[in-house]
Amino acid sequence: MSPTRFASEHRWLYIGAIVLLVALAVIGLIRYERVRTTNEAHNKANELSGELIAAGFPAPNTDNLVRALGDDGGLACSDPTSALRSALWKINMSNGAAGPGIRPVIADKRVVEAGALVLKVYCPDKLHDLQDKIDDLKTDTTVRQ
Amino acid sequence: MASMDVPADMPKKQAAETAARAAAPPRLTWMTLALMTTASVASLRAAPTMAVYGLACVFLYLVPAIVFLLPTALVSAELASGWSGGVYKWVSEGLSKPLGFLAVWCQFAMTIFYYPSLLAFVASTISYIINPALASNGLYTAIVIMVLYWTGVWVSSQGTKALAGLSSWGLVIGTLVPGTLLVVLGMIFLAQGNPSAAPMTASHLLPEWTGLASLVLIVNNFLSYSGMEMNAVHVSSLKNPAKEYPKSMFLAMGLVLLIFILPALAISWVVPSGQLSLTAGVMQAFDAFFAYFHIGWMTPIAAVMLISASLAGMLTWLAGPSKGLLEISRQEGYLPPYLQQLNKHGIQQNILVTQGIVTTLIALMYAFIPGVSSVYWIFSTITTQVYLIVYLLMFVAAIRLRKNQPDHPRGYRVPALTLVCVVGWLASAAALVIGFVPPSQFGSSSTGAYIAIVGGGLLLLGFLIPWLFLKLRKPSWRTTGGESG
Repeated sequence: MSPTRFASEHRWLYIGAIVLLVALAVIGLIRYERVRTTNEAHNKANELSGELIAAGFPAPNTDNLVRALGDDGGLACSDPTSALRSALWKINMSNGAAGPGIRPVIADKRVVEAGALVLKVYCPDKLHDLQDKIDDLKTDTTVRQ
Repeated sequence: MASMDVPADMPKKQAAETAARAAAPPRLTWMTLALMTTASVASLRAAPTMAVYGLACVFLYLVPAIVFLLPTALVSAELASGWSGGVYKWVSEGLSKPLGFLAVWCQFAMTIFYYPSLLAFVASTISYIINPALASNGLYTAIVIMVLYWTGVWVSSQGTKALAGLSSWGLVIGTLVPGTLLVVLGMIFLAQGNPSAAPMTASHLLPEWTGLASLVLIVNNFLSYSGMEMNAVHVSSLKNPAKEYPKSMFLAMGLVLLIFILPALAISWVVPSGQLSLTAGVMQAFDAFFAYFHIGWMTPIAAVMLISASLAGMLTWLAGPSKGLLEISRQEGYLPPYLQQLNKHGIQQNILVTQGIVTTLIALMYAFIPGVSSVYWIFSTITTQVYLIVYLLMFVAAIRLRKNQPDHPRGYRVPALTLVCVVGWLASAAALVIGFVPPSQFGSSSTGAYIAIVGGGLLLLGFLIPWLFLKLRKPSWRTTGGESG
């Protein structure tokens, strides 16, 4: 990549980009909070595991659920139905493109409905609004279980 | 940049400097161009979405690769190895100049709606690092979109070399490194004797077939590879375009396939689809993946990497289509002289700024008006429909060029070009037709209404606006030599 070498006329651009990304990474590491593996977290992970199995999914690793969702559902329960989060949620319900070819598809019914299960277990007060949004979707079966 | 002419109202000294820079385009290596092409098309953003399909994600990427990626890459490799300038030049030479303008306009116009959704994704990923609650904040989202977009415009205006470097490194740091990490960790997971979370048996190679929904999924995935031809506009920056562009395209093709398929598979080995579906966002999926390995602290690092890949992709899109639009407009006077002006680096700064103003307005509406953000997904359908016009024109132009100019020197010739073009054209036409099928987000609303919205958007953005440019153009707007179309 000779034209992209650091000792180029655009080195300040590179340095600026690196500084910005490293700063973000440092902030991310500082703010990163290890999920607390409390009894409540284990209980909720077991409850969620039961819900998923009842919905026809293979049994998930409950330790992994504890580490990812803790006892409060983590990001999944952070204002899940706000306008902007819903917008991204709808945009991401798409094909496998990562560039401008992103286009919505007909999503899998069970996979979409499983999205509500975490709210049901971890933040049931937020489930109603999300369920309304899920009920508005047209879904089908596209994922082979 | 073929000519040294500049608009008449530009000061002479500045015009001479600009012309000198334009006459000597910056050199890119074929490897850099391959990385730019890969950055335009592929990133890890789609990996969690496709991991839900398990082993079938291989099918969902390979079939489109055969019928769409391969034709697009091979045909653009032949065309770029014979004609510099990109899609506008190919369609102009093969069909007509107005259709050449239509092709590059469609490639350019669809990006206007792409940037706000891309940058909204970046804003939400940054909020994951700083404070997740910000993801729901319109002011925060608007500020991030504005700052990143206009920084991108500024970087693009610094010249092709600047953005080539940043986009290549963005791909390496933001996609290749974390993608490799995901795959290695996935293999360690299997090597430890753990069963794959998604069944990896032959019966799971194909996605569930339920008729229209499955067809929509498969055909819409053709568009995963859209953009492979876009960076051909930089072909004149290669030392030996005839030999190097095909090489660059083949490398990009391999990288894109690997980036799409392997990380999605790795995630599906480790994180069950039920758990992936719980994750209403890309970062939550990575969080679940890294949590298994007790390296949850990697998630914010992965977030930074995804941000760098997304911005790298944006840079390539800012620079490519606008350059093609400029070149045909300078030759044929399709845009007013103001929009044809170049900055001291030979970059189409005024097109970028004008595009930026429109993008800013759209982004503000996205951030502050819930009614706009909630239906923003529909613009991605309209813009992909508009983009498909480019491919329909490109494949026809390639057949015509082979027939009408068989002896024109080309560095690479596609074997069985007509067959390849017919396959690519049919795949593009199928994607265009499937684009009128209402997706999940449209709910139970009327199919007719959906067809009217998508069709209306396609007509407005893809035909009416470029037709107005053609209708209103003036001979005096031509700033370089060229025959009127």
